[in-house]
Amino acid sequence: MSGAAVQVEQLQKTYVVPERDAGIKAAMMSLVRRRTRSVAAVREISFAVEAGEVVGFLGPNGAGKTTTLKMLAGLLHPTSGRAEVLGYTPWRRDRDYLGRMALIMGQRSQLQWDIPVVDSYRLNKAVFQIGDADFAARLGELTDLLELGELLRKPARNLSLGERMKCEFAGSLLHRPQVLFLDEPTIGLDVAMQRRIRSFVAEYNRRTGAVVMLTSHYMADVEALCKRVIVIHHGTLLFDGPLTELVRTVAPDKTITVELSEPNTASRAELATLLGGRVAEAPIEETDTGWRVKVPAADTPAVAARLLTGLPVTDVTIEDEPIEAVIEKVFAVPAHDEAHGRASDEAEVRR
Amino acid sequence: MSQELGGVAGRGRLAHGWTIVATYLRLGVLNVAQYRGEFFVALANVITLATQFVGIAVIFANTSNLGGWTPSGLIALIGVYTILSGLIAMVIQPSLQQLMEGIRLGTFDFTLTKPADSQLLASVAVVSPAQALNIVFGAGIVGYASLRMGTTIGPLQWLYFCLTLVFGAVIVYSFLTLLGTCAFWWVKVDNILVVFSAVFGQAGRWPLAVFPGWMRIVLSLIIPVGLAVTVPAQALAGGLSGWLVLGSAAVAALFFAAARAFWKYALRHYTGASA
Repeated sequence: MSGAAVQVEQLQKTYVVPERDAGIKAAMMSLVRRRTRSVAAVREISFAVEAGEVVGFLGPNGAGKTTTLKMLAGLLHPTSGRAEVLGYTPWRRDRDYLGRMALIMGQRSQLQWDIPVVDSYRLNKAVFQIGDADFAARLGELTDLLELGELLRKPARNLSLGERMKCEFAGSLLHRPQVLFLDEPTIGLDVAMQRRIRSFVAEYNRRTGAVVMLTSHYMADVEALCKRVIVIHHGTLLFDGPLTELVRTVAPDKTITVELSEPNTASRAELATLLGGRVAEAPIEETDTGWRVKVPAADTPAVAARLLTGLPVTDVTIEDEPIEAVIEKVFAVPAHDEAHGRASDEAEVRR
Repeated sequence: MSQELGGVAGRGRLAHGWTIVATYLRLGVLNVAQYRGEFFVALANVITLATQFVGIAVIFANTSNLGGWTPSGLIALIGVYTILSGLIAMVIQPSLQQLMEGIRLGTFDFTLTKPADSQLLASVAVVSPAQALNIVFGAGIVGYASLRMGTTIGPLQWLYFCLTLVFGAVIVYSFLTLLGTCAFWWVKVDNILVVFSAVFGQAGRWPLAVFPGWMRIVLSLIIPVGLAVTVPAQALAGGLSGWLVLGSAAVAALFFAAARAFWKYALRHYTGASA
């Protein structure tokens, strides 16, 4: 495989899940004969990530993001396909690989519940065979960056969710991983703490050049950290490229909002004339103080100019569609199984 | 980084393993305040031991030997049983329980991301130091029994005793690990451990000789708790032949290899708790 830090080819994971109908009879039957069904969580996805990249994994619940991350972290064996991370096949769980990798999950804690955080770290020190000097230096650095201070002496169970998450990060990074898999790292955190974690991840990436692959339902995480996104839906890779391009592909319109000095002096028909041509078919919405229209990105400057000259405008704003709305559009694609012939639609979105 | 990893390989996996065990033991001691209650539970075990002695007294009021075992021999056996049950309660059982919980909740994922033997990590994950009391009790009982026997136990038999005690511990550990590993497929296997505790608690307290033939086979080879306890005690009570020591080693090796293979097989089929 090539020199990319993460190289994934045709990776596929199928789970066999038990299945039964509701009711006592079905429950009894399942004791005798368990009915199972194969569910494809990840279908033949391929991508490559270069060293130092921060890549966001996007997809609704159950899309296959976490399954992909877990295969790359060596937890799950794929049903088929290949992957190499830092030159290692993750699920062989080579100790050299595991010593260079970290998986952080927002919903699960690896800290020992009842003992001070710093004692949990000593366990990581032993497991990752971190020397005393390195341990002290790295812990000092992480303590400064994350402002851990007093937290280190508290048992994990006495920490707030945000505090605990900071401690999880510090503990998972003591061995200086070169690849970081973050599964919903900011879930449940307040906005300030989310920002804190985000800036920390960016800083870690800047300082160490580590690859970061992250899943998150908070688009702010993705916008702040990831220039590149990989969109997975129903286990299939729908898009892989810059976030800006995803927005351009899926939501090619911009919204122009004009506020008028005398509200609604212009009629809808007048406005349509002003917009002219195919732009006239764009959705027009009346607001309390003026109008809001959606126009293709390319036409935006011309339309804005016409609106400014033709109407008594006091204020104008031009916005991209919010990223959440963009993502919602991507995820509106039905499952493979649900609609045959979707492949051609998907191919349009896929690069 | 590469220097560091080079050093890792040099120091060897065994040393790494020992460091991990030592660190977990240390953590267990740090956790001791959390388990203050367990000291009392461990002490309460004295009552169980006392009833055992009463049982032996009742039996030997009527007969002078039980399936070839003298009272002192049986006391030695109770000592071995107490040592092994202390070991189970101190580290094996709580760690297995944490493993099952971890598989159910998904925190076992973290064990798998560590650059160390996952079976070792899972096996020593929880140490409950209060239970060390039972091991001390057990050793005391063995010492008392050996004095009470009145005969001198030769150094070879003491060596056999120590060896077979280690084999016994390996057998019990491997057997419990085999059971615990089922948690990779079945969500709730705590009950299996309860059944094991019951079998060990009942059958482990008596020498194999008191059981009918088919049960001796079951307790030696299928649920080998009888073998694990009886053989070391036999070294003190009546002496062991070298062949029996080898046999015990073979059973221990077999069970350990089976537990290891089953663990590796289970890891390949690990699906994790879904997010």
